[in-house]
Amino acid sequence: MTEDNDLLLRQFFAETAPQQIEDNGFTEQVMRRLPMRVNWFTHLWTAFCILVALVLFTLFHGWELLFVQLEVFLRTMPTEPLLGRLFMAAAALFGLFLVGVGELISSEIARK
Amino acid sequence: MATLTDISLVAQVAVLGNKRAFDELVRRYQSPVRRFFLSQTLGDSQLSDDLAQDTFIKAYLNIGKFRGLSSFQTWLMRIAYNVFYDHVRSQKPTGDIDQQAPQPVYENPTLKVDLYAALALLKPDERSCITLQLIDGYDIAKITDITGMKEGTVKSHLSRGKEKMATYLKNNGYDRR
Repeated sequence: MTEDNDLLLRQFFAETAPQQIEDNGFTEQVMRRLPMRVNWFTHLWTAFCILVALVLFTLFHGWELLFVQLEVFLRTMPTEPLLGRLFMAAAALFGLFLVGVGELISSEIARK
Repeated sequence: MATLTDISLVAQVAVLGNKRAFDELVRRYQSPVRRFFLSQTLGDSQLSDDLAQDTFIKAYLNIGKFRGLSSFQTWLMRIAYNVFYDHVRSQKPTGDIDQQAPQPVYENPTLKVDLYAALALLKPDERSCITLQLIDGYDIAKITDITGMKEGTVKSHLSRGKEKMATYLKNNGYDRR
């Protein structure tokens, strides 16, 4: 009797219940309604990196190194060969490129 | 993205906050979640979609709590079950959950035997157990995991629900077709 009922019900559900429901924009609606979720891992990692950088900068008197390098750069710039200057310019452009990529990634993450 | 496992998608959402990974999870599981709600709300597609959206938002906010002890789908269905019962309680805070039966939305009014009319005969717990087993194909162990009911309770809901539905179908000549 129970098995008969089971068979009957299985047949009934197979015939009448929806098997697969099409998305029809449902996922987009859900994604639009998603609240901002604080990504603690990213925040912690950023804070950790900044902290390490500050500690190293202080420990090794980073400002002195910076001033020395700047002074050397300014004094030797006029005597540097063309190739050296081009290399410096390329390095500066590469730095700017990295900053730009970083900005793009951040804006993409924020947009998502 | 299609070849990624649920676990790796969940990890991407939980650790990196990758919304595209969550988009993929919603696409994968929108159908069973919405089908579950359609059965519980007796065919009210608007309400069922609202509840399904709430389910995915709760899943997103709590995805860090997913430990992988059950499958992602089972974990999601547990959230869906809780969302539905929270909704039922919010509709009638002082009433008995078992006594509330939404009116079925008939898929095809010309049919003498309708899925949602048949499901309307059941109490909400019986309906959940029956649809989880006979529509979604979960075994009893998974149903206990989703609903948090004891195995004996699930079995008795299934038994009573099946008896009611079979009687209804037989009385309406479904077995003589």
